[in-house]
Amino acid sequence: MTLLIGALTVGLILSLLALGVYITFRIFNFPDITTEGSITLGASIAAVMLVNFHTSPTVATIAGMLGGMVAGAVTGVLHTKFRINGLLAGILVMTALYSVNLRIMGRSNVPLMDVKTLFSHNWFGTDTINVFGWDASAHDVTALLFSLGMALAVAGVLYLFFRTNLGTVMRATGDNDQMVKAQGSDVEWNTILGVSLANGLIALSGALLAQYQGFSDAQMGLGMVVWGLASVIIGEALTGSRSLGLALLGTVMGSILFRELVAIALRWGLNPNDLKLMTAIFVLSALVLPQIVRSLSRKGGRHA
Amino acid sequence: MLELHGIRKTFNAGTVNEVRALQGINLNIEKGSFVVVLGTNGSGKSTLLNAVAGSFFVDEGTISLSGQNITNWKEHQRAKLIGRVFQSPFSGTAPHMSIAENFALAARRGKHRGLSWALSPKLMHNLRDRVATLRMGLENRLDNAMGSLSGGQRQALTLLMATWLEPQLLLLDEHTAALDPKSADQVIRLTEEVVSRDRLTTLMVTHSMQQAVNLGDRLIMMHRGQILHDLRGADKARLRVEDLLSRFEEIRRREQLDESAALMLSERYV
Repeated sequence: MTLLIGALTVGLILSLLALGVYITFRIFNFPDITTEGSITLGASIAAVMLVNFHTSPTVATIAGMLGGMVAGAVTGVLHTKFRINGLLAGILVMTALYSVNLRIMGRSNVPLMDVKTLFSHNWFGTDTINVFGWDASAHDVTALLFSLGMALAVAGVLYLFFRTNLGTVMRATGDNDQMVKAQGSDVEWNTILGVSLANGLIALSGALLAQYQGFSDAQMGLGMVVWGLASVIIGEALTGSRSLGLALLGTVMGSILFRELVAIALRWGLNPNDLKLMTAIFVLSALVLPQIVRSLSRKGGRHA
Repeated sequence: MLELHGIRKTFNAGTVNEVRALQGINLNIEKGSFVVVLGTNGSGKSTLLNAVAGSFFVDEGTISLSGQNITNWKEHQRAKLIGRVFQSPFSGTAPHMSIAENFALAARRGKHRGLSWALSPKLMHNLRDRVATLRMGLENRLDNAMGSLSGGQRQALTLLMATWLEPQLLLLDEHTAALDPKSADQVIRLTEEVVSRDRLTTLMVTHSMQQAVNLGDRLIMMHRGQILHDLRGADKARLRVEDLLSRFEEIRRREQLDESAALMLSERYV
């Protein structure tokens, strides 16, 4: 039970990352690798503010998110104003962030011992509560409910935002930038804003993850782009990508489901060292299989 | 209204692929006039339109529109004043967004886009009425993705989008060239309707002589980056397709003459 609740909570926290990846990869069609640096950036800023400066967890979390937005904006500026290939712009910022994160933390790992975090609460007043006949730690259930609230709130706000005039033009920017120019909107500025917003969410996810797992680590961003992409792909398989609301909801669900799958696989004896390989193979097959199926069915149709 | 002065543009300057697309264009278009630009492939007619729209900056010369010097304005800044329909039906609309959302974008062309609701009730109300004027039955499909429509439907909607907020200048870049004849006719009829109703200043590029004869109150013929003929008023009204053909034939002969003369000279003296 503890394992299940833990996996659900991490899945929900990482769904913010998945939403960020959805914005860059799907809405803006921009393969943004900054993600791997900005999730750690959010975690390090939050951790250092909590440990060294004793700020409130809310302030630390917001600061982490702002850090991610700045990182995203830098990638956006490199890509649009300096005409650097999108992938390369992300790689440059990600690489630079590795040093920045070490500088911020002062070492490669900051534990969050004995500091109050967003996950220090217990909303139930008792130590254990009964969930569907199972005894579960009330503290863990609080963490789960809190992350659920965060994920739904962020997805809801994004849904509303992308239906405003500003949000609509940002979606159009990824869909047809020539049209957006002809409608008098600055494609470069929209892209910078979008990548910044996405990395803000990713850093927010990092800040929450650090507080939940009790440490920030320089390596924690490794493989996170593929992780987010896997969540987005699962989400699309679950809900289809037709409408914006379903796509956002699907991404959150995809993140939870993917985390559950990973937890189960590890439980069944998957070597944790192989996890990233498995994730990469999963995403690859999710990208390639539909093409193979399509070409097979086309061939079948010709024979028939 | 629209004033072009000494416009020059060379692509790939200094390389073997150098193209001198515009070679000193001077043009003055009055408010409310409908100008048709005709020319062969590579005559620079689309380049002229793109220079006005701001797809690139010109090498020399000035462009002013409604008394403002827009020579150094970027494309999206010029869009405040200019409505545009492209040759490809895919260029003017966002395929994965609904018809209504596409119009929500057009309804704020060149304006500030804030956090107010894109599909406001007021927009939806106007939208249904104005899309109904197309008589394509699209007013009941406003939630459908733009990408699910045919090229003709998309061009008709793009035209409606470009003129949703009355533009100072309407640019039409061979906007029926990619359509089947029936859809092309439909879009041309719609163009006449919209332009005459709102008395829009319009610059239309075409390579259809029939369109050049039937539409507009002024005809400009371009060749090799220069304006060759500029017909207006009674001259334009009297024009028939045969006259245009003979003018093109004349150009062709003159060039052939140039080429054969050059060949003769090179054979004799080189």
